[in-house]
Amino acid sequence: MAEHELYHIIHQLEKPHNLQQAPQLLSKAKLGLLHIQALVPSSDTTPQHLHIATSVLEHGALLSIRLKDTEAFTRYYQQLQPFYSLPHDRWQRDKRPSNQSKVTGLYLLLLLSVGDYAGFHTVLEGLEMSSGKKQIEKDELIQYPVRLEQALMEGSYDKVWGETKGERVPSAEFAVFSEVLINTIRSEIASCSERAYPSLPISNAKNLLFLDSEGAVIQFAQARGWVAKEGRIYFPQQEAEALAAEKDVMSSSNTVIENTLGYARKLETIV
Amino acid sequence: MADKMDIDTVNGEQKEEEKTGGPVAPTEKIISTNFALINQAVDSFDPRFTLRALRSIATLRKREDFAQALGAGIRQAFPKESNNARRVLEEMLPESVRQQQNGSASASVAETNGKKDEVEVVEIAEVWAYLGLLVQVYLLDTASHQAGATFSLNLVDKLRSFNRRTMDPLGSKAYLYLSLFHENLAPLPPSPQSPVLSLRPKLLAALRSAVIRNDSDTQAAVTVLLLRNYISTADITQADLLVAQTQFPATAANNQVCRYLYYLGRIRAIQLAYTEAHSNLEAATRKSPTTGAAVGFYQQATKMLIVVELLMGDIPDRATFRLPVLEKALAPYFKLVQAVRVGDLGGFVKCVDVNEGRFRADGTYTLILRLRQNVIKTGVRMLSLSYSRISLRDICTRLSVESEESAEYITAKAIRDSVIPDSRLDHENGYLVTTSGRDVYGSTEPSEAFHERIGALLGMRDECVRAMRYPGNRNREAGIEAQKARERERELVGEVLEAEDEEDEEMGGGMDGL
Repeated sequence: MAEHELYHIIHQLEKPHNLQQAPQLLSKAKLGLLHIQALVPSSDTTPQHLHIATSVLEHGALLSIRLKDTEAFTRYYQQLQPFYSLPHDRWQRDKRPSNQSKVTGLYLLLLLSVGDYAGFHTVLEGLEMSSGKKQIEKDELIQYPVRLEQALMEGSYDKVWGETKGERVPSAEFAVFSEVLINTIRSEIASCSERAYPSLPISNAKNLLFLDSEGAVIQFAQARGWVAKEGRIYFPQQEAEALAAEKDVMSSSNTVIENTLGYARKLETIV
Repeated sequence: MADKMDIDTVNGEQKEEEKTGGPVAPTEKIISTNFALINQAVDSFDPRFTLRALRSIATLRKREDFAQALGAGIRQAFPKESNNARRVLEEMLPESVRQQQNGSASASVAETNGKKDEVEVVEIAEVWAYLGLLVQVYLLDTASHQAGATFSLNLVDKLRSFNRRTMDPLGSKAYLYLSLFHENLAPLPPSPQSPVLSLRPKLLAALRSAVIRNDSDTQAAVTVLLLRNYISTADITQADLLVAQTQFPATAANNQVCRYLYYLGRIRAIQLAYTEAHSNLEAATRKSPTTGAAVGFYQQATKMLIVVELLMGDIPDRATFRLPVLEKALAPYFKLVQAVRVGDLGGFVKCVDVNEGRFRADGTYTLILRLRQNVIKTGVRMLSLSYSRISLRDICTRLSVESEESAEYITAKAIRDSVIPDSRLDHENGYLVTTSGRDVYGSTEPSEAFHERIGALLGMRDECVRAMRYPGNRNREAGIEAQKARERERELVGEVLEAEDEEDEEMGGGMDGL
């Protein structure tokens, strides 16, 4: 009985306009899973139940992305992990859960957008170990965040911009992250520009920051505390550098004193 | 490299033989001497004898007659054939060994029977454990992994039930072999179905009991084995949690400390904590043996160290690649370092492709992939050092970057990350301008470098002082008693002499009694 209900719920979840009712449907589905003891895979769960469970959880994950609920998505991802690490022969029909790469790719993208590079690399390492390099390279859904991370680390933000712009995005859910990513790179470019340029004409700044209009540029500049005059933006860097130099002398004498005292103390213990 | 290692091993073997006191002591003799050593260890509660016995395992396993000698040793230790302990051990050996020489065995048994009868049943437990270890080594060498795995599981359970401190060094070795057997069972790690996963609860339980019993040997060995287990299946988060929740015993043996530091360094490197990883791996390389059979560890640790140094942006010292023990092993890494140093992205990609299998086997492949941005950064730095002004288009061609815009963003990021601290970008004309370099000696850099080195050396001195050993208490007590006896004698002599002769005597004063 529970299985029929679950199939019904899954069917409903797949209909695109049910977004608002999705959370309740999902809770019902999870209860159903608990009834058939399939929420956590054990050694005697049948392949059928495994399929039902994975599809429910995957739908939950994808829907929470659409609803922009990152916590729920992380939770679903964690719940899906034991299913993904099951051996191939547990899945009877020789077909692994279809959305595995999608969910993993989305999770990687989530880690990138919050800047958790350590987590990103840890997950990637685990993936390489379990599925091997060849499979990962062919998998576009996973290559997308990997390429993005490479571009971010290098600093070629125009590549990032290009990737998140429409056509290159693998699927609709990935587009949700595009906005967050663009904001991230915008602030990165801004901080880089502060150090790198003495000043910039506003039109160039517009192109650099991928903003749409000069008004937006001025707004952005004011938000970051830059000075906009005569069609150019001036970055406030000289004072920062002077401060740094001064601090150098003062604090360094402190450290020198501390260090020398330490050496003297240690030397005394050496009889 | 294989040749070198063999030569080194032969040297080590010769030294071992000299230690056991004859040019080539027969294998059975060695095993019986080890029995005596172990008994001595139990009597004096001193682990050094057990350690000496364990050291001979390396020589023993290379002997051809290892299996026969082992069989003879078992018969010698447990003369009664119906003994359960003996049966468990003998099951693992091939038939030929078991049936062998009833003639010679009975003769030696008759001699040793008298002695062995005096030995209490309790002491034989250590001997049984030692023989169990030898059986494990034998099974490992004959690659019978499944049998070895089951035998080790039983052995380990039995050892845990003993709870004797004199058994500790033997127990920790047993866990090591248990782990090794499981690692060779199909499906091999890193597959998620590998049997090493089933080993984890056992190792965790062993860790718990080791900590409760204050058994630092087993605690260290099992922690290291757990870390190795987690890393082999890429469960880095779990490994990290283990490290955070447990304490590595400070009194562990040097080789365990080395291994622990190595695994810890690997975990940190994957988590992008490069400075910490670097200090761990450096300590591991410093403490590891650089000659003999264990040189493989030194090579592995140095490989990791080189990759982490590259990731931090430093170029490893060229002299490391010239060391004879490291030369062949580090050859692909040398090419890698060259590519990174020059900033040659094309060469870097080629080197990675060519040596991919090698890097994967070393477990450094994923880390090396991250080096891509280091190559670019170094390239930018080279350019800024060599040119006072260079156009973005030229940068674009030099770095093999696709577009000028990318080059601009990359340079801007490099400036912000202080890779090229004294530069400016000129956007309208598309130039990168470098102002004159600063005087390094005028800044605090030299003093910081000195401070680091001094700190490291002082730390090493502290560790040496802590590791110094003094003659054991027992000897000291005996010494004190002997001294007291001498003093009493002297006093008696003095009284006698005074009675005889009441003039000044030369007695040597009270200076002898300290």
